[in-house]
Amino acid sequence: MTKLLSAIYDSLNIVVFVREPNGCFTLHNPAPEWLVFFLGKSSYPQTCDLPELFPYLTCFMDDAEQHWHEHLATPLASGSWIETDELGNELALEATAVWVDDHAVLLLQNLGEKYRQEVSRLQQVRNGLLTQEKLENEVQKRTIKIKQREEEIAIKLVSVTSYRDEETGAHVRRIGLYAAAMAKALNWPTQQIDDIRIAAPMHDLGKIGIPDKILLKKGKLTNVEFSIMKRHTEIGAKMLQDANIPALDMAAEIALCHHEKWDGSGYPRELKGENIPITARITSIVDIYDALVHERVYKKAMCEKDAIALMSSMAGSHLDPELFAVFLELLPVMRRIRTEVHEIKDLIVSY
Amino acid sequence: MIQKKICLLGSFSVGKTSLISRYVNSLFSEKYLTTVGVKIDKKQLTHDGNELSLIIWDIAGEDDFTNIRTAYLRGMAGYIIVIDGTRQNSYDVALSIHEMVKQHVGELPMVFALNKADLKPHWQVDGQHIRPLEQFGYPVLETSAKLDNGVADIFLALIKQWGSNHD
Repeated sequence: MTKLLSAIYDSLNIVVFVREPNGCFTLHNPAPEWLVFFLGKSSYPQTCDLPELFPYLTCFMDDAEQHWHEHLATPLASGSWIETDELGNELALEATAVWVDDHAVLLLQNLGEKYRQEVSRLQQVRNGLLTQEKLENEVQKRTIKIKQREEEIAIKLVSVTSYRDEETGAHVRRIGLYAAAMAKALNWPTQQIDDIRIAAPMHDLGKIGIPDKILLKKGKLTNVEFSIMKRHTEIGAKMLQDANIPALDMAAEIALCHHEKWDGSGYPRELKGENIPITARITSIVDIYDALVHERVYKKAMCEKDAIALMSSMAGSHLDPELFAVFLELLPVMRRIRTEVHEIKDLIVSY
Repeated sequence: MIQKKICLLGSFSVGKTSLISRYVNSLFSEKYLTTVGVKIDKKQLTHDGNELSLIIWDIAGEDDFTNIRTAYLRGMAGYIIVIDGTRQNSYDVALSIHEMVKQHVGELPMVFALNKADLKPHWQVDGQHIRPLEQFGYPVLETSAKLDNGVADIFLALIKQWGSNHD
């Protein structure tokens, strides 16, 4: 039986140690060649301090002691580690603790080919993961480029209306950046933040359908003229809807609802409170802010303090009060966008 | 002779084995050979008149299929988390490893190594990633195992922490 067991140990590259009450380990079968270098002698039985010989075992002994203490016959593996032999070759070893016949037994195995196969398998898996990571990065880079193009197209589209009224390219660009900063503060997903940055600037796109004599009129609009002017919301929405592009769908929603008011007194549908899409409520706040603090042909720029005071009086009636509170928290960010984006050439602003 | 156990941690393929090989054996290989399990190396040096023996544990990198065994961290005097500057994913893994180590062994001296500095034009890890690392209050150093830049420095940065308030 002993001969048979020895043959099995040999073929499996396993060495059997018994943990003695004094903490030392006694070798219970002849030491194979690969182990002699570490033990320093080939005789058996012999005792040794295994954690001293193999420092890796220092992280396993607590678990092994617990295992033996509980007299568990199920094997507890240490996980593999690498040792270097006298020739500089790397050996992969693994220890297994098991309670056998009232003995605390530690099996030490040279994993050999089994380990090399595992390394080869993991190498393939990890090479695959690296390739996957590279491809994902490439897709991400290209997606960003597409987004930038979408954004540029949106700005170009909006700039068409800029030729007809006083709104500047920089104004529409700022609207997108303010709105995106709000969305980010509200913890929106990145995709939606990108969408509102593109969509919010298009809120007045429908003005393209308003006759010059009304759009460019210096004096006050008559009731009829104002009712025509109000149609820019629906015209814009019609131009943008059904594109099946998330940013344009959002832009259609904003174009339609950015003149709705929190108390229901806005147009075109007199929506009230949270029935007004949040995208439009955000755009409404940032559009008013930017319009107030910048000069127009018909008015001077208001100082920020006065603008905020005026907007505060609108919170709860015109503007969503909770979103306005978020806006106030972000005032330093808004200020930075306002001061850094002046002209169309300043379009690249990260936030 | 003072013995200290150091663990090198990080995602797979960030260069942990290369950093150790450069530091201990002054060797570098371009070929990526994945580590399975643990490999332990020793480095003896003198610092501030003290003889130190560093027991350096090269622990297989984390991926979707391999998690670090917390038992490996037992008796550790400090650790180095390695990030591959060219891979944003390795940065995310580094943060989760740092959190895991803090949960299991508490605050210990540590260093963040931003490896592969020789490939800096291709780095995905930039200032906005590095700042949060610096806010942890531990050294964040750039390294290149290939060019032997900053390699000894990461170990020295760890050793200095033992000499100060973390000993």
